[in-house]
Amino acid sequence: MLIRKFLAILPLFILIYIVQEAFITQIKLIGGGFSLFLIFTLLWAALSSPEVGALTGFGAGILMDLSQSSNGAMGQWTLVMILAGFSVAYLGYGDDNFRASPISLIFIVAAGVFLSRLVHAILGLLLGAEIGSLTQALISLVGSSLWTIAIVPLLMPLVTRLHASIFETRARL
Amino acid sequence: MRNGGENRGRLLLIILIVTSLLVITLDLRGVKLIQGLREGTQGAISPIQSFGSTVLSPVSNFFSDVTHLGRTRSEISKLKNENEELRQALIARTDADGQLQQLQSVLDLAGTAQYKIVNAKVISQGSTTSFTQTITIDAGKSEGISENMTVISGQGLVGVVRIAYSHSSLVQLATDPGFRIGARIAGTQQIGILSGEGTSQTALQLLDNQTTVKVGDVLLARGSLNNRPFVPGVPIGEVISVDNAAGAVTQVASVRLFVDFSSLGVVAVVLKAPKMDPRDALVPAKPAPVPTVTVYAQPSETSTP
Repeated sequence: MLIRKFLAILPLFILIYIVQEAFITQIKLIGGGFSLFLIFTLLWAALSSPEVGALTGFGAGILMDLSQSSNGAMGQWTLVMILAGFSVAYLGYGDDNFRASPISLIFIVAAGVFLSRLVHAILGLLLGAEIGSLTQALISLVGSSLWTIAIVPLLMPLVTRLHASIFETRARL
Repeated sequence: MRNGGENRGRLLLIILIVTSLLVITLDLRGVKLIQGLREGTQGAISPIQSFGSTVLSPVSNFFSDVTHLGRTRSEISKLKNENEELRQALIARTDADGQLQQLQSVLDLAGTAQYKIVNAKVISQGSTTSFTQTITIDAGKSEGISENMTVISGQGLVGVVRIAYSHSSLVQLATDPGFRIGARIAGTQQIGILSGEGTSQTALQLLDNQTTVKVGDVLLARGSLNNRPFVPGVPIGEVISVDNAAGAVTQVASVRLFVDFSSLGVVAVVLKAPKMDPRDALVPAKPAPVPTVTVYAQPSETSTP
């Protein structure tokens, strides 16, 4: 049953991945821009159970690792996204008040983007990658979090409805 | 029942984490299957990226032009259709002219040094989720490109090919924090190592403590063994400040790169370097000083009341 649901959302994730890789990366935005795919994945995980969150993170992480512009070792994003998907889902699991609040979702996804990129950078450093100056890295991290705060409210209605239709729960927002 | 669900969840999480660690290990050990997967993905996405580049390049210019439109709404609505068509044509032409200019300058540079090159268009500006500075170009193995080839533009060094796919390549820019190149100062031939710092400025560390560097010195690529990854003589940048800290073993300087990385449209990959090192032939000419004109203002001869 769960596999059938994942097969149902797979084309959507691939579509957003292609939009990210082919179009959003073309645009140079202030503060380093944003990753629509990362935001979408974490928002999806935030609405799911921890198991589904971890599985969603696993699938999304593999796609992010396959990106030609991914600088780390293959599997690095997968590991980070499993932990991020699970954590984001775990924080709100069982607390309907938390999930029903758009502010909570925006905050948790923005924090998820910040922390997942930070953990990915730290893992990269441990594996021998370089991230350049600390100031640039901080600007990029804070910039992507601020972009996330702006993007999540636009994505939220669509994602919550899609999630509710696939996982057969009522739309919360 | 609840415990069973929690245990299953934990087991799933552990399995996923172990799987990802296994993939990392395989990748770090250089298993070909993993590289093949990345190559396959890039092969599938590069045509869409080319399409995205074609679509978004004029559109972004279009929006910036529209903001400067100082006409009233009624006039705009009257002339909207006609203006839009003309504007699109003009923007497409300007875009093409810009790319042509970049192509001409890169051909001039390559021609002077007698590099054998293949031209390529930038189709992607790198990742928004990592701190690396890369671009993707629309030429790959099928055009004769392979890893560790020098990439140049009309102004000088752009970077080096890190991964060559069938019809596209990933280029590590000279601004990338992991970028290192052996450089020599034009004229004095002093050598040093230039490191990317994530911005348009890079750091130069001289290798010899007896030598000195000064503001305005031009840096060129020293060249590598068998010209891979760097061919000799490519202009890199200009020294803008020198750190003369007491106690430092060798001098350190800040270098501003010649290439404007924000407007890269057309680049060239050097397939083969000439037999003779071009030495300082590619040092960009200093702009000629503009003659100054002094104007003396004199009061007009008018009768005072």
